[in-house]
Amino acid sequence: MSAAPSTAQLLPGAGAFAITVGAAVAFGAVPLLGSDYLMDAVLTPFLALALAAVGLNLLTGYAGQVSLGSAAFLAVGAYATYNLHLRLPQLPLLVDLVLAGLIAAAIGIVFGLPSLRLRGFYLAVSTLAAQFFVQWALTKFGWFSNDNPSGVIDAPVLSVAGFTFTSPAERYVFSLSVVVVATVLTQRLLRAQSGRNFIAVRDHELAAKVIGVPLLRTKLLAFGASSFLIGIAGALWAFAYLRTVEPAGFNLDRSFQILFIIIIGGLASLRGAFLGAAFIVVFPLLLSRAGAALLGGVFDSGVLEMSQRIVVGVLIIAFLIAEPRGLIALWDRLWRAVARPAAIRNT
Amino acid sequence: MFDYQFLIEVLVGGLLSGVMYSLVAIGFVLIYKTSGVLNFAQGAMLLFAALTFVSLVERGSSFPVAFVITLAIMVVLRVSVERAVLRPLVNQPPTTLFVATLGLSYVIEGAAQLLWGTQVHGLDIGISDVPLDIAGVFISRFDLFAAAVAGSLVALFALFFRYTRTGLSFRAVADDPFAALAVGLRLPRVWASVWTASGIVALVAGLLWGARLGVQFSLSLVVLKALPVLVLGGFDSIAGAIIGGLLIGAIEKLSEVYVGRLFGGGIEAWAAYVVALVLLLVRPSGLFGQKLVERV
Amino acid sequence: MTVMVTNAEVLALEAAPAQGKTRATATADVPERRPAQAADRAAQPVLALSQIALTFGGVAALRDVDLAVAPGEIRAVIGPNGAGKSSLLNVISGLYRPDRGEVWLGERAFAQVPTARLAAHGVARTFQNLAIFKGLSVFDNVLMGLAHRVRSGFLRQIIGSPLARRIDAENRAAAEDVIGFLHLGEVRERAAGTLPYGLQKRVELARALVARPTLLLLDEPFAGVTLSEKLELSEHVRNARDSYGATIVLIEHDIGVVMGLSDRIAVLDNGSKIADGTPDEVRADQAVIDAYLGVAHQDITELAV
Repeated sequence: MSAAPSTAQLLPGAGAFAITVGAAVAFGAVPLLGSDYLMDAVLTPFLALALAAVGLNLLTGYAGQVSLGSAAFLAVGAYATYNLHLRLPQLPLLVDLVLAGLIAAAIGIVFGLPSLRLRGFYLAVSTLAAQFFVQWALTKFGWFSNDNPSGVIDAPVLSVAGFTFTSPAERYVFSLSVVVVATVLTQRLLRAQSGRNFIAVRDHELAAKVIGVPLLRTKLLAFGASSFLIGIAGALWAFAYLRTVEPAGFNLDRSFQILFIIIIGGLASLRGAFLGAAFIVVFPLLLSRAGAALLGGVFDSGVLEMSQRIVVGVLIIAFLIAEPRGLIALWDRLWRAVARPAAIRNT
Repeated sequence: MFDYQFLIEVLVGGLLSGVMYSLVAIGFVLIYKTSGVLNFAQGAMLLFAALTFVSLVERGSSFPVAFVITLAIMVVLRVSVERAVLRPLVNQPPTTLFVATLGLSYVIEGAAQLLWGTQVHGLDIGISDVPLDIAGVFISRFDLFAAAVAGSLVALFALFFRYTRTGLSFRAVADDPFAALAVGLRLPRVWASVWTASGIVALVAGLLWGARLGVQFSLSLVVLKALPVLVLGGFDSIAGAIIGGLLIGAIEKLSEVYVGRLFGGGIEAWAAYVVALVLLLVRPSGLFGQKLVERV
Repeated sequence: MTVMVTNAEVLALEAAPAQGKTRATATADVPERRPAQAADRAAQPVLALSQIALTFGGVAALRDVDLAVAPGEIRAVIGPNGAGKSSLLNVISGLYRPDRGEVWLGERAFAQVPTARLAAHGVARTFQNLAIFKGLSVFDNVLMGLAHRVRSGFLRQIIGSPLARRIDAENRAAAEDVIGFLHLGEVRERAAGTLPYGLQKRVELARALVARPTLLLLDEPFAGVTLSEKLELSEHVRNARDSYGATIVLIEHDIGVVMGLSDRIAVLDNGSKIADGTPDEVRADQAVIDAYLGVAHQDITELAV
């Protein structure tokens, strides 16, 4: 599982260095040098999806509870932020964001209650109820979208303490800051007793119970924390990336997309969530470029979409068969092959 | 005054579409019972079958010929899926298998539409949709026909699995694959017959649903209608699938007509799920699923 | 607890001749001990079962079983397959609710032991089929044995409040201690699922010991391990009692291993207790010999076929 040594263990001191360099690149070089296209169409959606995948990974990868309803919580986060901003304009945006996450968490806990009695497929099917219910409610009740006939919402300008994030680079930096903070907090949760409890419940629920792990609290915490993170990711998706969203954008395919991210990236790995999200965002872009270059005009958007579906499906199956631990396992193996000889040479 | 005639009309309409849910659900149960896989790709296979059939008919082949060719293609597809996807994943946890079939459904949906196009195909199987008037209750002729076809297919399977040798092997494998293997049953053969059977189910269900809704992408979403049925009836019970299908069909229509109004309609998207969930909380293994004693 | 029976009475009950199949060997030594135990509260049993009966769909798994385990004892419960040993352990740990009878943990009686509070009552157990957490490191597995002591909420754990940090430090120290005690230091960072079977068993034992339970239940600890591992493991079990002060109840199929290890042995056959006494007494007991030889015969014929 997570037995693979991290970068820091392989090269002592390199960890802190890598983090510093990474932060400098992510917060400095990228927004200064990157093109608007890169930040608008690649990096911002990557960050939102990565955070959603972190959330789902907490629930499915760590706590072992399969959910097919992630998109519902993305939608809750997006629409809750919108309504908080609209109806309580005196609240600062960051407070809206946290409250929206809490609302998503509350709904997540409600739909997580069946997990106390249901396992496996039965639970997965019950999370579908969340998916369909939320999508229906957002379309049906005009209140959620301020009476837009088709439930569409337009995101207001992001502003924190008087500073507005409007350009692609600014929205990227905003997303990055939120995702970094949320991921660090998640990491701390997972490394504490709560995180060990998640894995214990996943690996052997009965033994966990006998030891005195509070099953009810642990599972509901997993559902709540997961929905909280996914809700915030939904707000980023709607406000920093798309800026105009409709309930149909949070359909079942979106839920599956997030599930695919954590499977391709690697279950029970936060780094895997980021790798998987990067793959899912970049890969269709590459495919459409390649298609256009090879086949020119023949490659219409319908064909492209179908080919993408096929390739994503094949990749899922291929990963499950060849490397069930996902991209992160490949990454670690590659890293060890590169880093270990270097480390030995240095000593 | 409460309109009882209308209630009966709604109820019958619900039960009739329930039969079609049962048919789709049985496709799941057959495979779940023998290989422990919740085959999410069942919907995609249904779409693939209907699209292939319609495209053959549009290219001038007669119904029976198209039916046989499609069936042959479905069986080949099923067997290759078993070989290429499920066999390498044997002994993996059920969730892994489920996600693999999710990936598979993407592949089949993409392939079906890449091959046959994304436009909606009409499928006319020659049944007029003029409602039948039985004692003042109007019933769709088409629904009646579809229910009759689905019902007889279901009955046929029930008889097949009860009285034939293959049926007996099927039940043995479903009960305990290792014991079945030990007494000399050839698992691949049982699997092949089960996959063929579920291929027939997919084809027939695809045609019936296709005739009603038009053959198009959304056909594969029929799978989402079958899931609450499975939850209600238990993933491993054919009887459960039948009764669950009828129940869900009836509940869906009744709740839409009598409860949905209060919320402005459209609740059939989730009403079945909520009903199934509530039931699950009372009976965690469904109405008919086997309750296993956990050995510690 | 509303039940007004004292533990001494439970012991007396167990010793009573009315209980049917229990052999004279078991009852013979009890009359001398009974007055002493009634007088001396320190000798109160850590665990007492009174008249436990359990059926599964009409099949009797346990028939009016009594058992009293004295503090500091290593007590084996043996019997052929299907004798009800595992059922007995599952009743003690609250996984099954007996149809009749009571389980006494120290001074408290239960109709069904609350499994979730088991650790808080000072009881730990292992499982016949390994129940370690494969995805956690050995150290984290051991740490899990103290999960019930973590009283800080998840927010405190995230920010690392003084309370959360203090509990964490205490638990880590306790885990280090057991890791050293059971010689798991070399593998402490390995994912537990990647270890060989014998080591995984030791990890499970460490996880059970880390909370310093007053009562430790071991479900077939020697099943499936090699001979050298058996010797090593039984040494660990004895040390667990000597150094950690745990009273131990262990279930075993193989009569040989437990003879040297146990202070007293109870024998179950077909759901009833047929003998209870020191290893020597049990070894000489005719009912035990019959039960075991009979089973052995069957095993031999089965193998021969």
